[in-house]
Parts: sequence; structure tokens; C-alpha cells
Amino acid sequence: MAIEFIWQLPTGGDGRHGDATQTRRGERSGLTRPPFTEGVSDPRGERFNFLDHLHQIARAADLAGFDGIQIQHDPQGDESWIVAGYLARGSRRLKLLTEFEASRGSAVYAAKNAASFQRFTQGRFAWQISPGGDAALRRQQGDHAPDSDILPRIGEFVEVAKGVLTQSPYRFKGRFFEVLDGGFNGPLSNNPVPPVYLSGGSPEAYALSAQWADVHVLDAAPVDELKETIAKLEALAAGQGRSLAFGLRIDVLARETESEAVRDAQRFLAQSGRAVGSSDPVVAPGLWAGFATERTGAAASLVGSYGTVAERLVKYAEAGVSSFILAAIPHLEEAYRIGEQVLPVVRSRIATRLSKAA
Amino acid sequence: MTIDIFWRIPTHGEPSSHRSRKPWRGDWFPGNDNLTKPGLGGGEDGSTYIDYLAEIARAAEISGFQGGLIPSFPSTDEPWVISSFLARETKTFRFMIPFQPGFLNPVVAARQTASLQRATGGRALYNIITGGGGPQQLWWGDSVPHDDRYTRTTEFLDVVRGVWRGGPFSYQGKFYQVEDAGLPDPLSEEDFPEIYFSGSSDAALASASKHADYYLSWLEPFDALRDKFNRVKERTDALGRKIKTAVRVDILARPTEEEAWEEIRRGFANVDPAALARFQGAGERTESVGAQRQRGFRPTTINSYTDLITEPNIWSGFSLLRGGQTQGIVGSYEQVAERLDDLVRLGADAFILASTPHLEEAYRVGEEVLPLVRGRPSGSATLRAVG
Repeated sequence: MAIEFIWQLPTGGDGRHGDATQTRRGERSGLTRPPFTEGVSDPRGERFNFLDHLHQIARAADLAGFDGIQIQHDPQGDESWIVAGYLARGSRRLKLLTEFEASRGSAVYAAKNAASFQRFTQGRFAWQISPGGDAALRRQQGDHAPDSDILPRIGEFVEVAKGVLTQSPYRFKGRFFEVLDGGFNGPLSNNPVPPVYLSGGSPEAYALSAQWADVHVLDAAPVDELKETIAKLEALAAGQGRSLAFGLRIDVLARETESEAVRDAQRFLAQSGRAVGSSDPVVAPGLWAGFATERTGAAASLVGSYGTVAERLVKYAEAGVSSFILAAIPHLEEAYRIGEQVLPVVRSRIATRLSKAA
Repeated sequence: MTIDIFWRIPTHGEPSSHRSRKPWRGDWFPGNDNLTKPGLGGGEDGSTYIDYLAEIARAAEISGFQGGLIPSFPSTDEPWVISSFLARETKTFRFMIPFQPGFLNPVVAARQTASLQRATGGRALYNIITGGGGPQQLWWGDSVPHDDRYTRTTEFLDVVRGVWRGGPFSYQGKFYQVEDAGLPDPLSEEDFPEIYFSGSSDAALASASKHADYYLSWLEPFDALRDKFNRVKERTDALGRKIKTAVRVDILARPTEEEAWEEIRRGFANVDPAALARFQGAGERTESVGAQRQRGFRPTTINSYTDLITEPNIWSGFSLLRGGQTQGIVGSYEQVAERLDDLVRLGADAFILASTPHLEEAYRVGEEVLPLVRGRPSGSATLRAVG
């Protein structure tokens, strides 16, 4: 699989600081105080909101050379499918990796909406199905499924969606979904099934990915740890007669020099309200946990110079990662920085080593 | 209140006129478009059907329509997707989104709707449909029986409204349960979408009277429609609410009546005999009361298109020309406007009009017919026709 770099689209807020306060750049909300004093006229009125900023980030990712965007599922933010559609015509070639939970409704309806996405974007739509929060959070979302049903429901959701997208007539009767004489005909037939990205670290999650995922997304961890997981998952998928690609959800804090990167990491750490020195944020060389990651949802961030961060991404690629889901705050400015300073280095080093290996 | 007039987005493909049975414009059905020339689609230039739909949406808003209904059928693109795609490139077009509540978790639907309101500046509307039933429901993956589906629809709207202002909202229904739910700020500041409600059964009317802003019906014979509207208004009055009514109607308007009927004659001449046989027969099994009513209003012997003229300027064969409703208005610009005003007098507060091809006809109807409609000037009382 070719290497793809996907930038995160933060649907719940984005800002310059490492604190956990949700800032929605561009938001016209009546709840937020106008940023100018009474002495300065403000031409914006209520004509903008955070979706305008999300559009800017998507365009930035497109222009800066990313292959896709991950449209975050955040119950406190804007809804990911609407955001995906809203951005689709403003981007030219980005994969729209849209995150959601299998509790959103009918798998047939989701597949039918996906077929329209594929028709209108020439196949750029992709699914990241997440297990969601704990039981109390799920009940807030109208979802009363017990913990033990979450992964089996994702499996059925993917099975039914693939079924109606690729077969007609299609029939299914499971624990969560039922279809009779289903399947899409006419204009909705023969559209590509959205690639399915799944994640999770439990044996059940591994088994689910082995059966249904196209890409298993790993949480950020030192590269040697990930090698073991990748080997385990590859064996499981092979047991199903399938192959699986691997993604990595990791943040990146890259600066011109190592010392600038460390200085900014420490500043973000202070802004996020974590007592400095409470525990060592450096979990492995160049890999930090605990700043800004509450917002971006990553387990850890690479911290270092452009060259170091690039080299560490290459190491992950050599270990088998082919889908990098990257983020940094603020997402617009950092999309350009990473796209201009880091990705070209990573891409050329990977190409060089592949040609040497060949 | 003044009258709101909407247009329709042809999700079921677009022929070049009512005479044609070839809905391939804009690359609606790639692979079946060998009659389509490059530039009108074909995929090679990167355009897709959404590019054509965007043209129609902009034509409708420029021509003075409120917005458009975006129909959802098993073979059509989905209105949530179309609306979100077109949000940024339209200014005033309101997206009327039909969907069946059983297909979406109501808390997700609320957040999805609020985000679409934010994306469009409050231009989303619901057309709540509850499903015609029969084998079709299980095609959609829905196994709930007919009358229970209306209970579900009512509960669905209870929850969407309940969480809309931020909550915390809890609910114990037969179909939906939520605990401490609510939309986050600033999504909770959006206006709730107007609800257009479709459904002709008693169970439908009960659900509509609780939640709907507009009760939406296909065109039916004027007396039947007047009775239907009066019935839903009485039921809603009894609950201490007010409901408005809307009519979905195809129209064919030309400078002269002769030209309009000539279009129908030529369209009818191109109808596939098998389709005509189905039209005259019993039709597909359905639990839809609305579809059964439409069937009951048709003549049983059809030798000519004129046999389908059931009232002055009303032709009951539109579903032969393209999928959907049976009855439509045919006539000169003045006659079509007069018939619309007749419908206003019998109680209609809004219209969803359509004509093929939707792009050119949006301009024609907007320029030639809408200026002739008297409607109901603001401040004048709603006339409740009697008898």
C-alpha cells in the first residue's frame, strides 16, 4: 500500500494554545464575546462560524500536499458527515476519512449516503468507525448497547454496508440489523465501498479488524512496541485470508531546531494545566504524552526538529505503517508547516529506501 | 401569512423534456449515458451529477423559489449528502430533506441537523416520511410495522426537540431512550428546522398534529384535498396547535394551453406500453395509504392522454412520465397560476412545484408563472373553505 498522510480536522474546536479550552475560530456564536473593543468596528457580524475555519483547514491540507483529512467524531462538536459533505467540493483530491459510531442508525442508510458521497467525490469517502465513549456517554447519545455489544455491532454494520453496496439482492438477519431483498441498483450500484478504518487494543478489537478492517489504526507508541502488534494483527488477518494495512494516530510537534520544539512542548504542557514535573512527559526518545493530546485524541506526540520528526515517521513506515493520521495545534498553520517542512523529507526518504531495497 | 413556493431537485435523473424517457443528463447514471455528450457529464472532465444539481439549486434561488425538496427513493442520491455538498455555494436555497426517522439515531440526527443549520445559515427543513411499508421497508433494513412506525416517528421528533436547546434531556420511549442528552454549544443556538410532514393514514395524521408545521400532500382532486386538509387542521386544533398545509404538484406551463397539452400528448405517446399496463393494473403491494388514494383517483380505461384529464387543467398521468405522483397541473401560464390560487383558496399555505427539465423550467416558472400567483397577502385571514 502506498503511504498516505492524513491530517486531522478538529470538529470540536481548534486554537493556538495547549489548554483544554475549546476555541472555535471564526465562531459567530452569541455566547462568545466579540474580540474587539467597542472602539473598533467589526465587519464580521454573524456571517462566519467554525465551519468556515474547518473549510480553511481542509483547503490547507489539500494545498500542503496531504492525501486526506480525518474528520473527527466529537459529540461536543459539529457532526462529521455534514462536515465531510460541506468540505467535499472545496477540496480536490483529499480522502475524506469520516469518523463516527455504529450507533448512528441504519447500516443500509449509512451505506446509501456513502454511495452518494462516492458518486459526488469520485470515490474519496472513507469510514473510521469508533467504539465511542463509556456507557454513560453512550446513553447521552441515545445508545443503550452494553459494552459487550459495541464491537459485534461494528462488525455487523460493516458487513451490511458492504453487502448492500456490492450485492443485489442482498439478505441479512443479525442481532442488530436486518435486510430483505436489499442492495443498490441503477445509479447507486457499483460504487466503491468506503475503506474501513478500525482501531482498538483488545483481542476482540484485533479479531474485528482482522475480519472487517482495511486499515487498523494504532495508537502512538514507541516503534518497537508497534512492530509486535503489527505482526500479531497480520497473522490474524492472514488466518481470515485477508491482508490488513496499518495506520498510526500520532501528533507531531516539529520546529526548525530541536530546542525550539522542546521549548514549545513545554509551553503547551504548561498551558494544558498539567503540573510540570508531576510525571515525565517524555515516554520515549522524542515522544511526548500529555499536552494538547486531550484535544486531538492522540496518545502521544513526536517532538523534535523537522529532520528528527521526519526520520521517526520513516521508522514507523519501515515497521509497516502506511496510513499516518497526523495532527498538531493550531491545525491550519501546522498543516502548512508539516506539509512544507516534514512530508517532503519523509516521502523522499521512503522512496529512496524502497528503491535501495528493491 | 404569505405563500411559500419551493422547487424540486431531480434526484431521480433528468431527461431533456417531458417527452423523453432518458434521464441521463449530468451523468446521473454513469455507464448508461451513451447519449450524453462530454461536457454534459461522461465523467472524463471530472464533473459528476452533483454539479448539475448545484446548477438547479442556484437556478431555483435566482428565480425566487424558497428552496427545494430533495426526494429520497431507493435508487436516488441522499438529501443529507446533497444538502451538505451544496451548502457553501448557495445563498438562500432552503434544503427540504425527506427521511424516515427509523434510519437515524435521534441524538445523532439532532447534531447532524444543527451542523447543517450552521453550514447553511439556517436553511435546513425536514420532510418527515414514515415509509410506505411492504417489502420496501425491509429493503431499507426496517422491520417495524406500519402503525408502530408512526409511534416511532413521534418519539423521534420528541427526542430531537428535547435535546435541541442543550438539555439535559431524558426520555423513556418504546423506541428511544436517552439520558442527560443535549446538543453542545454553540450548536444548541440554531433554529429548529420547519417540519413538513407526509402521510395519509390515521396514524400519520395523529403524529403530524403533534409535531408538524406543514402537512404535505400530493395533489388530489380538489374536493378530496380540501377534506383532507380540513381533517388534519381539526385534529391539530383539538391539540391547541396550528398547522399549515402544503401541496406537492407537478406542473407543465406554456405560453398557450395548446402548447402545454401538446407536450403531454407527445410525452404520453412515448410511454412504454408495459408501464401503461402497470399503471392501469393493481400496482405494487404497498401499505402506503397515500399511494392507494392516488390510485383510486385514476380512470380505469385509458385510450388517449385526454382520458386522464380529470378536472380542468388537471392531468392524472404524470407518474407515467417520471416516477412520483399522478396528478399535475397543465395549462397556460395564467391557467397554472389560477389553479395554484384555487389551491390557496382551499387552504394551501405552501407549494412544492416541479417540471422537467428542472433547470430550464425553474427559470420559466419563476419568470412566467410565479409573478401571476396572487397567493395570500400578509395579514389577510386564512380562508377555510366549507363544503
